[in-house]
Amino acid sequence: MVFITLLFLALLHLLLYFVVRPRPVTIPIKNRHVFITGGSMGIGLAIAKEAASEGARISLLAHSLDELKEAKQSIEKAYENVNVSIFLADVRDYDAVELAIKEAGPIDVLVVNHGVYVIEELENQELDTVKFMIDVNLMGSFNVIKAALPLIKDRKDRGPASIAFMSSMTGQIGTYGSAAYSATKFGLRGLAEALQQELISDNIHISLIFPPAVDTPGFEEARKNMPEISKIMVGPDMMKAEEIGKITVNGIKSGKFCIPCNFVGQMVAIATAGLSPQRSFFMASIEVVFAGFCRFLALLAQLKVHGIIQKWHLQKKQQ
Amino acid sequence: MLLALLLAPFLLLLLYFIVRPKPVTIPIKNRHVFITGGSSGIGLALAHKAVSEGARVSILARSLPKLEEAQKSIRLAHGVDVAIFAADVRDYDAVQRAVNDAGPIDVLVVNQGVFVPQALEKQGLDEIKFMIDVNLMGSFHVIKAALPSMKSRKDRRQPASIALMSSQAGQVGIYGYSSYSASKFGLRGLAEALQQEVISDNIYLSLIFPPDTETPALEEERKIRPELTDIITSGGGLLKADEVASKTLDGIKAGSFSIPFNLEGRMLAIATAGVSPQSSFLMAFLEVALASLARIVSLFFLWSTYRRIAKWHVQKKGA
Repeated sequence: MVFITLLFLALLHLLLYFVVRPRPVTIPIKNRHVFITGGSMGIGLAIAKEAASEGARISLLAHSLDELKEAKQSIEKAYENVNVSIFLADVRDYDAVELAIKEAGPIDVLVVNHGVYVIEELENQELDTVKFMIDVNLMGSFNVIKAALPLIKDRKDRGPASIAFMSSMTGQIGTYGSAAYSATKFGLRGLAEALQQELISDNIHISLIFPPAVDTPGFEEARKNMPEISKIMVGPDMMKAEEIGKITVNGIKSGKFCIPCNFVGQMVAIATAGLSPQRSFFMASIEVVFAGFCRFLALLAQLKVHGIIQKWHLQKKQQ
Repeated sequence: MLLALLLAPFLLLLLYFIVRPKPVTIPIKNRHVFITGGSSGIGLALAHKAVSEGARVSILARSLPKLEEAQKSIRLAHGVDVAIFAADVRDYDAVQRAVNDAGPIDVLVVNQGVFVPQALEKQGLDEIKFMIDVNLMGSFHVIKAALPSMKSRKDRRQPASIALMSSQAGQVGIYGYSSYSASKFGLRGLAEALQQEVISDNIYLSLIFPPDTETPALEEERKIRPELTDIITSGGGLLKADEVASKTLDGIKAGSFSIPFNLEGRMLAIATAGVSPQSSFLMAFLEVALASLARIVSLFFLWSTYRRIAKWHVQKKGA
């Protein structure tokens, strides 16, 4: 019985070894040009520092000159001989983005990391705020990719290149208060799956990073104004930006399509694997073996969520 | 194998108690069904079906002549008049006026959509913006306009529905659909989050995932579809608009969160179930039991897709 199971697993492994597409790839960072949007603080800055520590040439794009200057200084202080360029542009402005990217030169690793988030019940959220998130997070990402594609295709060493999108666990699961934000992050996934099919022949590899709550100024701001229920669901735990920076760079180097950041994230990634590519046959086996279990956990999570919502509404009524 | 058979009834029983939201039946007869994009294609077919089931129907679209034609065709077929409202979903004020004039809504079908397939590299930013504005932002406009009256409807014991027209391209990103998939994936994030926000108002979200459906819009899209998109999506099935309308209405009445079509669609739905809600304990059982198979099938689909892409590029280079 046990023998049959092991045999089956071994055969599965073997099968998946031949089946997984696109094939695995390693993407070097050292001496290559890493361009990071939203790179002046939070996760973006952490990614920049991690890439700098691995010998990459860094370009940061953001919309605040002061923050950019500070970021540049802090990276240069931490790492000798690092080359950091800064570019000022609002990602909603295609012409400004194009100008900045052309100035930066051919790109090997593009990290589309910029993002804004306002967590609020859709009923209460202003349409201007919804539009803001869609314009920056989604349309802004299209602007960056459109501007950067020619320069990525033009890269010097013709080695494998990467386009990495900073998503969120809220881009895998829609939760109370995140209608607009989840819409933008889910959207990035649709974009990424399609884009990978379009760019594989150019040796360009797509990655999506799915952090949980992270200790950044951006998150602190959002947490202040979050609805009670959302706060309860997010919970108190946060990861550090530096951790996410490391996980991101490692994930990009290994050419992973979906990059979760902790254990729960890995389970969610398996549950939401959907039709996204998996380039590691080992991870593919894990996904196949645990798919049902993770869906079961997901259903339990829904039960828990509905329990929280019901309880909260009950408490409100009693008041 | 024997173990699995023994465990199955326990799993079924467990899921019966776990699934959230709890199952619901949403009546259509004598209720107000409001359909955006209701003057042609699937929207018009839905209007016909809803009228035939005794609903009071309103349809919203951009073109007044097309709306009048649709109204005539319904009058001819069923002897009933639907209310018509001309508005562009990108114009919130117009949408709000229409929704206010139409009166409180019981079943909101957010069905408007545009699709322009093209490899992202070649696609104009204005086309990308068009799809995001109409398919995603437009949906936010419609929901924001309708939500207040839906939440404060007189008979709250009768469940209401917000149904969003997605697509199989909203479950998997395909070559040529980067912006379309982005907009449709976005609707899923919206729906998952919104469901948690409106469950206490007895409102149920549904996402509809049709494959290619015989409509005027599809005819137009087919003319400009990139060759590789066609190659990859061949074998996805072609349905008639009234088949889709029929199953859609059935799904809405059952309060199903995901409404797939045909066998491939059901496999897709299981593969992409993710952390989305499932009210039917039977469907939940299938999702858990078939998750592994669905992921294997998905990996094979990706294998086939990427091989076709590679082959196509080789042929192009040779030509």
